[in-house]
Amino acid sequence: MTEPLLKLTDITRHFGAIQALRGIDMEVRPGEVVALLGDNGAGKSTLVKIISGGLKPSSGTVFFDGQERHFGSPSEAKAAGIETVYQDLSLCVNADVVANFFMGREITKKFFGIPVLQEKEMEAITAKAIKEAGTKIPSLRTNVEHLSGGQRQAIELNRFVHFGGKLVLLDEPFAALGVEQTAKGLEMIRKVAERGVGVIVITHIMAQAFQVADRIVVIRQGKVAGDIETEKTTPEQAVELITGGTLSIAGAGRGHASTDPVQQGKGS
Amino acid sequence: MTPARRRMLEFLLDNLVWLMLIAVLVIFSLTVPRYFQFGIFANILEQSTYVGVMAIGLAIVIISGNLDLSVESTAALAAMITGLLFASSGIGMGLTLGPSFIAIPLSMLIAMAVGVVIGFINGFFVIKVGMSAFIVTLASFIWVRGLVVAISGGRSAQSLDPAIRVLGVERLFGVPLLAWFAVLCFVIFSLIMAKTPFGRYITLVGGNEVATYRAGIPANKILWMSFVIAGALAGLAGWLLAIRTSGATANLGTGMLFNAFAAVVIGGVSLKGGIGKLPGVYAGVLLIYSIHTAINLMRLPAHWTQVILGLLVLAAVLLDTLKLRLREKLL
Repeated sequence: MTEPLLKLTDITRHFGAIQALRGIDMEVRPGEVVALLGDNGAGKSTLVKIISGGLKPSSGTVFFDGQERHFGSPSEAKAAGIETVYQDLSLCVNADVVANFFMGREITKKFFGIPVLQEKEMEAITAKAIKEAGTKIPSLRTNVEHLSGGQRQAIELNRFVHFGGKLVLLDEPFAALGVEQTAKGLEMIRKVAERGVGVIVITHIMAQAFQVADRIVVIRQGKVAGDIETEKTTPEQAVELITGGTLSIAGAGRGHASTDPVQQGKGS
Repeated sequence: MTPARRRMLEFLLDNLVWLMLIAVLVIFSLTVPRYFQFGIFANILEQSTYVGVMAIGLAIVIISGNLDLSVESTAALAAMITGLLFASSGIGMGLTLGPSFIAIPLSMLIAMAVGVVIGFINGFFVIKVGMSAFIVTLASFIWVRGLVVAISGGRSAQSLDPAIRVLGVERLFGVPLLAWFAVLCFVIFSLIMAKTPFGRYITLVGGNEVATYRAGIPANKILWMSFVIAGALAGLAGWLLAIRTSGATANLGTGMLFNAFAAVVIGGVSLKGGIGKLPGVYAGVLLIYSIHTAINLMRLPAHWTQVILGLLVLAAVLLDTLKLRLREKLL
């Protein structure tokens, strides 16, 4: 088995007296898609922030790419190859599609030592990436504020597909997407993973997790409640892990692929 | 609608203030006696220089999502220090730096350095300490002006070194050399804003600071830099004012802040941040001084300028809302 790309050991984090994470151990290997499941307040978002450099753990170690790392900011994590798609979109709606697509890694050419933006080149690359993903955006020069929620999310998703890195974190990536676009999004995740990129998807929707993930990690009350290969488990079992068994009776009577109990917990 | 037509309409909407400027100039030329002559236009260009240079920095800070009320006082301080050092009568110390090609750049750098220091202090309190830009720069507006009065003792400096003063006397294409500074600054900073990553980041940070932070853009550095640039340009404006008046008085430049703000808003910059382009701001400045000049020529009391200016600012904001609605319909 290959070396893990990301290895967390005994990560804890508290906010004042509140213990959000109580010792998380988990691994992600290159090319693997891991679905991170958990109820509201289980600590998923805190964990994502720790991996992406937005928060520091109170204790524990983060091994990334074979080295122990302490990311002080998202830009450090990004430089190391960790790409994050946040739940609340990270777009500047006052700028056009191209500017958003290339935010923070603009293509420039130096003239007399002054970096100059290469708009044509960036527009061509954006157009190609957006087209490949099957997203329709009328003009790449329109400001993002004029685009629909789905189009906006598509920009962010395409951004990570294009730039990739080594590890991608997706925090509720399909919240604003329609059925067809969600299917495309899941396909995109698989494609990215095939390139050897590790992917962590956080979702509330059980069906999506089972559709895309190789492994499911369930977090409950700040601890890993289960770490199972997708093939060896069922949605019912996962629900049980998430809720700690309290909903197992409610879930049992439903059909095999039922996602209802989880859907109720949707939205954070 | 065809893409070409839409692009045309977008272009017109983006440059509405230029259309307004042309319309106003045409109307005044036809109706106001003696308005249509080269000297008048050259005069408008020259009058626009000081507020124009100042408005560039102000616009950059506002686009990045902050506010700088201190530019007027900063300009006054830079002017006073230029006057103190290089004027020969009044409180001036009468330093001379030899020929123009040394005296001009050196005195300019000193004035701009004064602005950089003030901008740096503003940036420190807003970005490092996390105070509201409104409060910090309001405080600077007050204490920097206080400093001007304190170091001058309320008196003035006159008779600036002729080697520097030459800029206010000599003309290029019939327009005083001073006026070209604003044109040059607008060209340079418009290019920076439109073509370089720094300019792009100013707009992006003004739009969504969290997103830029996540994207690895050093948002704090960009914001701080915008204050420093605003300070430096205010310093430059002060230096130009000192040359124009051949010295400095303690109340030099009073009221310029409001003209600069009006120009920025009329030029299409949104006070919410993230929106606006510098050429529009220049058109805004020119528009203000075109109207100002017309009022002078018509021999109306100067106070009417202020009434019209106020209405113009209101109209500009209304127009902005209208533009937004029109754009929503188009897309």
